[in-house]
Amino acid sequence: MAGPGTGISQRLVNWARIKSPWITVYNSGGCNACDIEIIACLMPRFDVERFGILVKGSPRHADILIITGHVTLKQASRLRRVWEQMPEPKYVIAVGACGASGGVFHGLYHMMDCVESALPVDVYVAGCPPRPDEIINAVVTCLDLLREDASHGGKEWRQKKPVTGMAEKSPTVES
Amino acid sequence: MNRPVTTEMITDRMKEFGTVEQVRKNRIRVKTVPDKLTDAITTVQAVLGFDRLISISTVDNGETFELLYHLIAPHRLIISLSIDLPRDKPVTHTVSDLLPPAGIYERQIHDLFGITFEGHPDLKKVILNEDWPDNEYPLRKDWKSDPGTFYGGINVERS
Repeated sequence: MAGPGTGISQRLVNWARIKSPWITVYNSGGCNACDIEIIACLMPRFDVERFGILVKGSPRHADILIITGHVTLKQASRLRRVWEQMPEPKYVIAVGACGASGGVFHGLYHMMDCVESALPVDVYVAGCPPRPDEIINAVVTCLDLLREDASHGGKEWRQKKPVTGMAEKSPTVES
Repeated sequence: MNRPVTTEMITDRMKEFGTVEQVRKNRIRVKTVPDKLTDAITTVQAVLGFDRLISISTVDNGETFELLYHLIAPHRLIISLSIDLPRDKPVTHTVSDLLPPAGIYERQIHDLFGITFEGHPDLKKVILNEDWPDNEYPLRKDWKSDPGTFYGGINVERS
């Protein structure tokens, strides 16, 4: 990739990406309330397609990963694999109280503490469950981040502290 | 079954397997022993029409594990066949050959309580993650999560 936002093709790609972000929704063990709110976003009343937001089934096609719910131990490696399949630049939105801290499930024996302990999160949405407008606001906030990142040529300028120990052991699942 | 099943019929028929008790209007509990369980299930299926398994529930009451096999019939009675297993040797015979849906319940009970079902075709983990340590059964009353043990997920140094 050329320098930050230099080439005409790169600028075109950035423009297209901001114009129409594709999202994928992943439930990593929640109670489905947040999923219902996300489905409400897609319905005509809220209609996220007017912002160009399109839900894709495959993470390989998506720019933004929306995670609903806490992360159970069994889901952690799957979630991580979904995240690794996404092409750069990728953004993660953790929806709801569970995604931020585990919510009412915090401290259970089969839980990760939060989404942040499995993969880096860019935007949190508070609420249990959040309203659809708050979820749309999170995606639009994510687009602002994307625009900022494109002008800085990457995510490094934000200096988000990486989760410690994440690189040492990538999760493995025995088939 | 054409003729209606009454609770007296069930009591008469199930007396040989153990104590019969009517806990609610449509719910009957039969306390039996593990050796007679297969015969009891065959009897309630063939004679009394209880042919569907609702659930297998497990109670950890301190000294023993109590397994309750709830079966329902078209005549809307529920029978609960209960057996007690000793805590130090929680082994019983599977009923998945009589009731095929029991197989997945038994796998789950094996995960969470560590009860072994002999003769089960595939008693592997179903609800816990793959790298969960052996001999840790989280729904037992005396189980405590050990902060030093790695229970799975992603190995992150927790702060």
